[in-house]
Amino acid sequence: MAPNPVPDHVPPEMVRDFSLFTSPGMLPTPNGDPHAAVACVHEGPPIFYSPYNTRDGQGTWVITRAKDQRRVLQDAETFSSHRSIFASALGENWPMIPLELDPPAHGVFRSLLSPLLSPKRVLVLEPAVRERAIALIQRIVASGTSCDVMKDFAVPFTVSIFLSFLGLPDHRLDTFVAWGKDLLHGDDEKRQVAARTIVAFIDELAAVRRKEPADDFMTFVVQAKVEGRPLTHEQVRGVGVLLFVAGADTVAAALGFDLAYLARNLKEQEWLRTEPDRIAPAAEELLRAYPTVQIIRVAKKDIDFEGAPIRKGDYVSCATMIANRDPTEFERPNTIDLARQENRHAAFGYGPHRCLGSHLARREIVIGLEEWLSRIPAFRIKESTAPIAHGGHLFGIENLILDWS
Amino acid sequence: MRIIVHTAKCQGHARCWAQAPGIFKLDDEGSILPGDIEVAEAEQLLAFRAARSCPERALEVDHAPAAQVELDAVQPTARQV
Ligand code: HEM
Ligand code: SF4
Repeated sequence: MAPNPVPDHVPPEMVRDFSLFTSPGMLPTPNGDPHAAVACVHEGPPIFYSPYNTRDGQGTWVITRAKDQRRVLQDAETFSSHRSIFASALGENWPMIPLELDPPAHGVFRSLLSPLLSPKRVLVLEPAVRERAIALIQRIVASGTSCDVMKDFAVPFTVSIFLSFLGLPDHRLDTFVAWGKDLLHGDDEKRQVAARTIVAFIDELAAVRRKEPADDFMTFVVQAKVEGRPLTHEQVRGVGVLLFVAGADTVAAALGFDLAYLARNLKEQEWLRTEPDRIAPAAEELLRAYPTVQIIRVAKKDIDFEGAPIRKGDYVSCATMIANRDPTEFERPNTIDLARQENRHAAFGYGPHRCLGSHLARREIVIGLEEWLSRIPAFRIKESTAPIAHGGHLFGIENLILDWS
Repeated sequence: MRIIVHTAKCQGHARCWAQAPGIFKLDDEGSILPGDIEVAEAEQLLAFRAARSCPERALEVDHAPAAQVELDAVQPTARQV
């Protein structure tokens, strides 16, 4: 697709031929390392304009320093989250909640949902998470000495946790996995169909829970009141859809990148296996080195930012994978040090929209790695196969075939 | 050593609590409770590291002079921001 014309207010010398969608290493690449490919921006200026940097070919400013990303993400007055990404794919206009709301409405919904995903609440969810991990890994162990990590473990693991969080039994698992796949990787038509199916499903579940309350998340949402009033149908949908979009593939991708790294670094793999206490800090370092989300904001007003004339309506990209390789923030940013301390990485973003699911995500990743390492002996990438990694809005990895024969 | 808590900057990452739950207390939403924290001598290194894990920079370390010398000796690189 040809890039959109660069707007007139962007000085030509600030335009760079770089994009998280199309630059070398960003399209699906066998044995690719899109995170390393992205790190090259640190040789350049703190901010530049990328003429093609969204799925639908829009240009964005790209902020390369972590410090400047904090400034953008902590300032929701200037940089808005209101984009209706999911809805606009359907030709509609409603926000995913709280992701696409700005303050003050954002804070109201965020306070409503925070206790459900707080660190203490996650402690209660943990045993079920561990049980799921063990069941899936036992099945893998019983069926041979190799597997497709994403298909056989990471995706069913994270989707099943999402389902039980919503209050749904596991027998819908395969349907959900298929929807998620179409939504992320399908062509435009498949994506539309998947998006509609997910919306219809969330609407239906909400209707059921209005009639038959249960002890689950959806019941909480349909019974909740915001400023004295129950949520509208559209708001309930906005919350439900966001959980589906935000909660499953992100964690699966993190697990995939982590296991791919360990499969290629057997010494460190063995180190974590024999000293499982090291897994939690190691998972933080892997979140730093292989984060998955490119965050985008829309300027609400004109602002000159580090020499860049950002104008109202411009998109501003704060890619977590760029912040996390910032040499002014991390010593030797391209070296992966599983014992790194004070690891203030940006994988979950900064500011008021900081990932609400981060506490659950962290436990899913650590528990997934603990159970994997304790049940599966030294594993590597299966000979004559190559995992395929890609960039984009959500970085990912597929065809990760591990072998421990 | 004292930790100055900038409550308005806290976004509930809970990295402080994850490292030192005895020192950093959270509310039901997962944000840090308001009020500066006086840290006992034996816990200074732990508290220091935990405070420096806050992605939002909501926790400021206010060194007593004696503690500063000691921490510099333990962690020479930790002070560059
Ligand atoms: C490793 C896994 C994950 C990563 C890397 C991740 C990353 C992120 C990032 C970067 C944001 C900020 C987006 C922005 O500022 O525009 C975010 C927001 C969010 N995430 Fe996650 N996430 C993960 C897992 C989860 C899980 C498991 C859940 C749910 C259970 C979840 C729920 C949310 C929600 C609700 C928001 C919106 C918060 C708000 O707007 O206030 N995430 N996530
Ligand atoms: S690490 Fe920072 S943002 Fe997180 S809970 Fe502690 S003070 Fe708040």
